[in-house]
Amino acid sequence: MKMTGIIFSEMYSGTLNSFTQDRNMAAIPFGGRYRLVDFALSNMVNSGILNVGVLVKQHYQSLMDHLSNSQEWDLNRKNGGLQLLPPFATEDANSGGSRGKLDELRNALDYLENIAVTPYVLMADAYVVCNIDYRAALEDHIASGCDITMLATKETGTSQLKCASVMNTDNGRRVISYALECPAKPGEYASMGNMIISREFLINVIRDYTSRGIYDFLRDFIQHEFNRGRLSINLYEVDTTVLRIRDVNEYFQNSLAILNDDVSAALFRGDRPIHTRVTDEVPASYGLECQVQNCVIADGCFVDGSVENSVLSRGVKIGKGAKVKNCIIMQGSVVGEGACLENVIVDKWVTISGGAQLKGLESNPVVIRKGVTV
Amino acid sequence: MFQRKKECIAMLLAGGQGSRLYVLTKDTAKPAVPFGGKYRIIDFPLSNCINSGIDTVGVLTQYQPLELNDYIGNGQPWDLNRNWGGAHVLPPYTGTKSDSWYKGTANAIYQNIAFVDRYNPEYVAVLGGDHIYKMDYNKMLQYHKEKGAECTIAVMPVSMEEATRMGIMSTDENGAIVDFEEKPKQPKSNLASMGIYIFTWATLREYLIADEEDPNSENDFGKNIIPNFLKDGRPMYAYSFEGYWKDVGTLDSLWDANMDLLDPSDPINMRDPSFRIYARNYSAPATRMGSGAKVTNSFVAEGCTIRGSVEHSVLYTGCQIEEGAVVTGAVIMPNTVVHKGANVSYCIVGEQCVVEEGAKIGERPENYLDGDWGIAVVGHQRTIAAGSVVKPKEIV
Repeated sequence: MKMTGIIFSEMYSGTLNSFTQDRNMAAIPFGGRYRLVDFALSNMVNSGILNVGVLVKQHYQSLMDHLSNSQEWDLNRKNGGLQLLPPFATEDANSGGSRGKLDELRNALDYLENIAVTPYVLMADAYVVCNIDYRAALEDHIASGCDITMLATKETGTSQLKCASVMNTDNGRRVISYALECPAKPGEYASMGNMIISREFLINVIRDYTSRGIYDFLRDFIQHEFNRGRLSINLYEVDTTVLRIRDVNEYFQNSLAILNDDVSAALFRGDRPIHTRVTDEVPASYGLECQVQNCVIADGCFVDGSVENSVLSRGVKIGKGAKVKNCIIMQGSVVGEGACLENVIVDKWVTISGGAQLKGLESNPVVIRKGVTV
Repeated sequence: MFQRKKECIAMLLAGGQGSRLYVLTKDTAKPAVPFGGKYRIIDFPLSNCINSGIDTVGVLTQYQPLELNDYIGNGQPWDLNRNWGGAHVLPPYTGTKSDSWYKGTANAIYQNIAFVDRYNPEYVAVLGGDHIYKMDYNKMLQYHKEKGAECTIAVMPVSMEEATRMGIMSTDENGAIVDFEEKPKQPKSNLASMGIYIFTWATLREYLIADEEDPNSENDFGKNIIPNFLKDGRPMYAYSFEGYWKDVGTLDSLWDANMDLLDPSDPINMRDPSFRIYARNYSAPATRMGSGAKVTNSFVAEGCTIRGSVEHSVLYTGCQIEEGAVVTGAVIMPNTVVHKGANVSYCIVGEQCVVEEGAKIGERPENYLDGDWGIAVVGHQRTIAAGSVVKPKEIV
């Protein structure tokens, strides 16, 4: 394989702060049994990529625990495999939030120069949930002759959320306008945090820019160089389902989106499975009085109440007479007998006492933090 | 030279055909038969080994081993991928002096003396690969050592009627075995052998070699080795086991054992996190329940899509139940599809079957008056044509 994968695991850790108290963005649970990182990682593996570096910065224990020896992704390899790339423990690295992708990429320099020596590098942000084959994107990149290829979706313009980059193209899919941090209008292309670039070029950029104290990859490198006509950008359109997770509301909407048949079929394909850590839970048990409608339910659950339009992660218990509607309930949480939850996101290992009533809005769900008792 | 040494290794007899499972073991060995949603029968003894601290397991295969070999692989799902030790599949092989199939259970171990010797163990556990149970073999090993036994046999009380079909032990007040009978007509005791043995290897090794030289021997543990131990007055003890233990060697008992998973008291203790049963995992997404789904009193593995009605059933990984389909009291093995309007009840349906629209498999016992009732069984990879009927007790 001619390409190495680099995964950024922090992009929206800030706006997803309800979930990132003690984990980073890439480790946020999704879809009943996954973490966000599973999608980028599985896509890479399913595309034949053998070298994957995961850039981490803050509280990445949860991610390390999840990736473990990476054998579930078949990345426990002698040649290649998965490498976690934590920051060097300098003072400024510990000073808080990311200063930009180039700052993070500095920690991948040694990896890219000496270990993962493939002609191309695919950089992927873990906030994107999709199932795609990167091989086609790489071929498109090579054929285009451009300096960089951005993977993007054509927008219908329904989301008001800002996209990291928004592009317009000519007929040959060559980018002709490049804007940052704005909502995409109908017909425009929204980036999905996936780019392909030559490894040597990337190494030079990282060295050159960071030595001058410039860290913003999109603004100071891509946009700056593009606007001066020194950088050609190819656009690779992805026309399958792409879910972005940029803030708590979007997390809520897109977690429930997997209840849709088309979305589910696009994400969970038999030919390209999404791999995740195996926890050896028993299959789910459904009690005599349970009612389940339009749900996604993982192994190890024990359901005896009514669950509608919801996602239950591994090992969730729903007590008798409890009513759960439009909820995301993460691993190991317990909803007591007769409790009533609507539009609630329940993080891991939460106990909802019997009879409790919690109601959020569809546009603004209630979030219960990890480990608390309500 | 110092030789490395394991205290105890296990030899798992997994070569059985399981002929009483008929169509379910036509192309695969009995230990590879799926069980309980996401498991195969062999997951139970393999998980018991690792949960008991036994990290070296020889898996003796013979009948239709392809699926089993593939399933066990390097033993990683059970944490049995070890640099020294781990899971080893041991099929029969040819040698300069002999090239023969495993003639009996004792002969299977005899042919692998070299394998056991590599680990220079003090003790060897000999296990069957066809029961559903959770057991800490280490406790049994401690008992074996305390008693100064050379052979310890796990036993459990059974009804006198069952006793006529099993190996029955009589013991003295210290638990020493004083008598052993294979399938006695008039059982003297109700303590049945569970087919789980711990031997002191040096002694067993001697007896295996002697047994091989006896032309009249059937080379079987129950018929030859144990009676010979008894005859020679070797210290042999019965270890009483309390807990769930079920032979799933017949279609009825396989169905029953699956139904036990629906018991809220969890007799198998499947949910004990300190004694998990491990299985190979196939990266299926979480189970989807459609808007029309109606699921009660069931055990459902991941990767299923359910839009119909399911009650009192066990659904294995990747099953699809379409809308309008009714599934009751059924055991449905991996990746089977039940189409619209089909009625699947009181039956076992094998892996990767297709039950077409409006087909009917099995029947509730109270609704069936036309003859002898029993569960219906459909083998692996069958298609049950639209509108056709598989009657109770029928095997397809």
